[in-house]
Amino acid sequence: MNLRDKLRALDSRKKPAAPPPQRQFTDCWQHEEIREPDDFPGAFEVKRRTVMLMQGEDMPEWFDPRRILYLDTETTGFMGAGTVAFLVGVGWLTDEGFTVRQYLMRDYPEEKYLLERLAEDLERFDVICTFNGRSFDVPLLRDRFLMNRMRPACLDKPHIDLLHIARRVWKMRLGRCNLSRLEEQILGICRVGDIPGAQVPQRFFDYLKTGDFGLLREVISHNAQDIASLCVLLSRMADMYDHPERAAIHSEDVYSMGVALERMKHPEEARRCYRLATGKMKAQGQLRLAVSYRREGDKGQAKEIWQAMVIRREGGVEPYIELAKHYEHVEKDVPAALEMTRRALMMLSEPTLLDSDTVQTTRNAVQYRYERLKRKQSAR
Amino acid sequence: MNVDQLADRLRQDPLFMENVVRWEVMEAKSAQYGPYPPELDERIRPVLERRGVHQLYSHQSEAIRHVLKGRDVCVVTPTASGKTMCYNLPVLSEILRNDDARALYLFPTKALSADQVSELYELIEEMGVDIKTYTYDGDTPGAARKAVRQAGHIVVTNPDMLHSGILPHHTKWVKLFENLRYIIIDEIHTYRGVFGSNLANVLRRLLRLCEFYGSRPQFILCSATIANPKELAETLTGRDITLVDKSGAPMGQRHFVFYNPPVINRQLGIRKGVISEARAISGMLLKNGIQTITFARSRLTVEVLTKYLKDLVRDPLGNAGRVRGYRGGYLPTQRREIERGLRAGQIDAVISTNALELGIDIGALDACVLCGYPGTIASAWQQAGRAGRRKGTSIVFFVASSAAVDQYIVSHPDYFLKKSPENALLNPDNLYILLAHFKCAAFELPFEDGDSFGNAPAPDTLMDYLEEEHILRHVDGRYHWSAEDFPASEISLRSARAEENFIIIDVTNSAAHRVIGEMDRYTVPMLLHENAIYMHEARQYQVEKLDFDACKAFIRQVDVGYYTDADLNVNLSLLDVEKEEQRPSGGMLMLGEVKVTTLVTMFKKIRFDTHETLGFGHVRLPETEMHTTAVWWTLPDALANQYESDTLKNGMMAVANLMRIVAPLYLMCAPQDVVVTYHVKSPMTDKPTIILYDNCPGGVGLAHKACSMQEMLLEKCLQIAQDCPCPHGCPSCAGPVGEIGLDGKKTAVSILKELIR
Repeated sequence: MNLRDKLRALDSRKKPAAPPPQRQFTDCWQHEEIREPDDFPGAFEVKRRTVMLMQGEDMPEWFDPRRILYLDTETTGFMGAGTVAFLVGVGWLTDEGFTVRQYLMRDYPEEKYLLERLAEDLERFDVICTFNGRSFDVPLLRDRFLMNRMRPACLDKPHIDLLHIARRVWKMRLGRCNLSRLEEQILGICRVGDIPGAQVPQRFFDYLKTGDFGLLREVISHNAQDIASLCVLLSRMADMYDHPERAAIHSEDVYSMGVALERMKHPEEARRCYRLATGKMKAQGQLRLAVSYRREGDKGQAKEIWQAMVIRREGGVEPYIELAKHYEHVEKDVPAALEMTRRALMMLSEPTLLDSDTVQTTRNAVQYRYERLKRKQSAR
Repeated sequence: MNVDQLADRLRQDPLFMENVVRWEVMEAKSAQYGPYPPELDERIRPVLERRGVHQLYSHQSEAIRHVLKGRDVCVVTPTASGKTMCYNLPVLSEILRNDDARALYLFPTKALSADQVSELYELIEEMGVDIKTYTYDGDTPGAARKAVRQAGHIVVTNPDMLHSGILPHHTKWVKLFENLRYIIIDEIHTYRGVFGSNLANVLRRLLRLCEFYGSRPQFILCSATIANPKELAETLTGRDITLVDKSGAPMGQRHFVFYNPPVINRQLGIRKGVISEARAISGMLLKNGIQTITFARSRLTVEVLTKYLKDLVRDPLGNAGRVRGYRGGYLPTQRREIERGLRAGQIDAVISTNALELGIDIGALDACVLCGYPGTIASAWQQAGRAGRRKGTSIVFFVASSAAVDQYIVSHPDYFLKKSPENALLNPDNLYILLAHFKCAAFELPFEDGDSFGNAPAPDTLMDYLEEEHILRHVDGRYHWSAEDFPASEISLRSARAEENFIIIDVTNSAAHRVIGEMDRYTVPMLLHENAIYMHEARQYQVEKLDFDACKAFIRQVDVGYYTDADLNVNLSLLDVEKEEQRPSGGMLMLGEVKVTTLVTMFKKIRFDTHETLGFGHVRLPETEMHTTAVWWTLPDALANQYESDTLKNGMMAVANLMRIVAPLYLMCAPQDVVVTYHVKSPMTDKPTIILYDNCPGGVGLAHKACSMQEMLLEKCLQIAQDCPCPHGCPSCAGPVGEIGLDGKKTAVSILKELIR
C-alpha cells in the first residue's frame, strides 16, 4: 500500500471532491444598509454618565453615542488558533439612522482584507459595544490579527459588554440572558426564520464546498439583526438606568439594578432603585435600603426603615435582627436589643414554609445572640 | 545493623550463599570536577557556594559549556548526579541577563514537575531575583493562567498540557513563543513507543510555531542510561545533539547480589517462588532497620508483598504503617504522602511497581530488592539506582523468578552487568500518530505549499489527503483549517488510543461509595472483569459489576484465600503485506499490517501461598481491536505434515515461548512491547504460523527490526533450547512440560533448524 491508500484505509468514508476555488482575491465581500432612526428610540440620548453607571468603568470624556462601534462576529468554532471569524458585522449611528456594515470572507485569503477594513472602521470610533465580546469576539479577533501578522492595537478601546450588564439586571427574572432571549422578553423583537447559532459554522463550510452563496443569506441577516439589537439594547438599558421608575413594573429588575449600582459604588442611585422595588421584592428592597443608609452612616434612617418593617410585619426576622444589632451597638441599649432578639426567636418558632435548614441556621445564630446579650445584661 | 555489617553477615551464611550466583561489588567512585564556566551570570556562583556547591561535577561543567556554545545537548547520567544543574544554570543565567527570555520545562508527569521545580524555586529565592517560575498544568487555576502566559519566565508543564493546552492556543502565549530560548526535557528515556512518537510530533508542532514567531530555542535534554540516548534525542527533537554521558558525581560502594531461588523440583525445573524469596529478603532488611524499596513486576505482586510485609511488623502501635505499597491506580494525594514518608524516613519499606522508577524524589534508600527482572536492563538499573547514596554503602538484590528471561539473566550475570541497556525505539512517522498531529499543526497554523513538518515524510500527501477529507481547504497556496473540530482533543499522548480511563468505586459501605483509583481501558478486561479479585493497598476486593459503557467498576471488600488471573485470547487478520519472502525451507517470511483482536474469556482462581488453581470463571466483555505491524513465519507443508497435530501444536508453542525470551533481549525493548503468538492453522495464511507483532497501534518499528534480524533471532531460540540441560523443556527455555508436553522441545528444535536452513 502506498501512503495515500493507507491514509484512505484509516477512514473508509469516501467524500466528494470540492470544486477548486480558483479566483483572484483582492477584497472581501461587504454589504451596507441603513436602518430607520425610528427603530432606535433613545439611541442618541445615551449619556456618558449612564454608561459609566452601568459598566462601572470610565468612558472617554468626549463620549458620544455616534462614536460607539457595535460589533458582532460569526465564527467557525469556539476556541483555538484554527477558529476564524468569517463574518464581522459593525454598526453605528448617524443622523440618517443606524448603519450596519458587514464584511465576509468568501474564502480564507480574503481574511486579511476583512481585518484591514475592520481595523479602518475601528480607528474611526472611540468605544466598542458587544454582547460577550470581552471573552469571545475581541480575543478571537486579536488572535486573527496576530495570525495575519497585523497589529491588534485597534481593538484596545473602552468596551461596553452588554452581556455582563444585562446579566446583572435580568438574571433574577429571566435566568439565562442570551441575546435572543433578551430580544424576545425585553425588546419585543421577534425573529422569523432565524438560523440557530450552532448551525452557523457548518453553513459556512457547506458554502465553501459548494460555492452556493444562498447558504449564507440567513447567517448574514442573523448577524445584521444582532448588530441592530445591540444598539436597541444599550439604549433600552440606558433608559432604565436614567428612569428606574419606568422599569418598576418588574420589581426584580429595579431591585437587581439597585444591587448592581451599589456594587459599582453608586449608593444614591442604588437607593432610588430599592425604594422603587415593590410587590414581592418590597421587603428585600427595604432591607437593602436600610443597610445602604447604615453604611453611609445615616443610622437613624436605617432604624426608621426597620421599625416600619416590623410594624408592617415585613421581611420576617431580618428587621428584628437588624434592630437588635442597632440597639446593642449604636444605642448601647441592651434591654431593647434583648427584646428584639426575643421577638425574633418567637417568630422563628412559628411554623414556616422556608427550608428548615436555613431556618435552623438562623435560629442558632439568633439563639446565640440572645444568650450573649443575656450574659451581657446580667454582667452589669 | 548497617548495610556493611549486613553484607558481611550474609556472606558468611552458607545457606544464603548457596543461592547466590554472583556477588558483584562496585567500588566507590570519587567525584570528578570540571571548570566553572565563567560566562554564567556572576550572581549565580555565590548562591551555589552558600548552598555548599563549591565546584561543578565534570558532566555539569561539560554540559553547560556546550549549551553556552549554542549546542543542543543531552545529558545522560545516573540518578542523583545533579543533572538538574545542567539546565537550571544556563536558563537562570540567560534570564538574569535578558528579562524577556523564556524557558519551557517538560516533565513526563505532574508529580515529577512539582518535585523538580522546588529546587529551582530555592535557587531563585536565594538569589533574591524576580524570575517567575510557574507550573502550567491541569491543576493551574483559571485565574492564574493569564499571569503564567504573560509573565512566566520559566513555564513548567508536561507533554499533554503542551499538546492540548498551549499549542492550540499559541496566540495567547505570544511572549513565550517570541522569546523562547530553551526547551528542557527531562527523563527522555520515558518517551519511547507511543508516548515518544507523540512527543516527537508535539515538538515538531512547537518548533513550527517558534519559527512563526521568530525564535529558535535550544534543547537541553536529560536521560537515564539507555543504549541510544543520542538517537532518541535526535529523533525526538529532529536536531543534531551533543551527548554528555560521563558522570563526575561520586558514588558510594554498592553490592549487587544475584539470587536464584533453590530448585524444588528438578524434573520439572521448578524453583521456589520469587515472591516468597523476595518476601524473605525484604523482611530481613525490614527487621534490621534498613530502609528498602522492593520492586515487583505487577500491581498484583505489589499488593501481595505489601500484605506479607505489613503482617510481619504489624503490632498494636501501628507499625504496619511503616510498610507501604505504591503503584499506578493509587490517588495522587496518597502517592505524595508515601513519597514524603520515604524522604522523612517514616516509612521503612515500600513495595512498588515501576511507578517509582522515574525521578520522583524519595531520597536515596539503603537497599533495593528486585522481585523478578523488570524486563529491560534500563529499568533494572533505574530501579537498582533507587538504592545508593553519594557516600555510604548500598545493596541491591536481584531475585530471579522462574521465568525464562529471569533465568537467562541470573545464569549470565555478565549479560546484565556488561551489556548496554536497551534502545528506546519510537516512530514519529507512525501514520496514525503523525496524521493526528499533522491535523493539530494545520489547526494551529495553516500549511503553505511546499512546507515541511519537521522531517516527516511526504507532508504534501498528508495535506492533500486532509483536503480531500474536507478538513483542510487548499486555496491560494495555503491549507486552511476548515472544520469545526478541535483536533487536539482527539489524541491521548500516552496511548495510541484516546479513550477514557475507568474509575474504580468501592461500594463496601453502601451509604458512602468511594472512588479508590482508576485504570486504563486495556488493562480493565484483565484485572476488573466481573468476579475478579482486585487488590488495592493490600486489601482484597471483588468486582461486583463492570459497567463498560460508563467506564466504571464497582468493587466490594472481601476476604478470600485466593486471587484471580485472566486469560487473554488473541486473533489476527491480515490487512496488507509489505514484504514476502520464500525461504529455503519452503516456508514464507512475511511482514505487513494486521488487525489484532483481543478478548478475555475466562479467569482462574489461584490460592495464595501454594498458587494452585482452585477453579475457573467466565468473562463476558467486548473485544478490543488494534491495527499494527507484524512479522510472521509459516511452516513448510513438508515439515508440518511430519507431525501429529498435537505434536505440532506443542512444538509451535515451544518456539513461541523461546521467541518471547529472545525477541525483547535482541530487539532491546520491554517484553510487553512485542507479542509472540502462534496458530496451528492461521486464518491469515491457512498454514501453521508463528507471529510477532508490535504491541502498539501502527507499530513503532519492532516488527521491522525483527524481520531484518530474523535469522539471528531464530538461531538464538535454537541455542537457548539446545544449551539448556533439561530433557523435555522447562520454564527457562521452551516452557514447562505441563504446557508443551514431552515432545514440545524436541519438535521446536527441528522446526527451528528447518526455518533457519
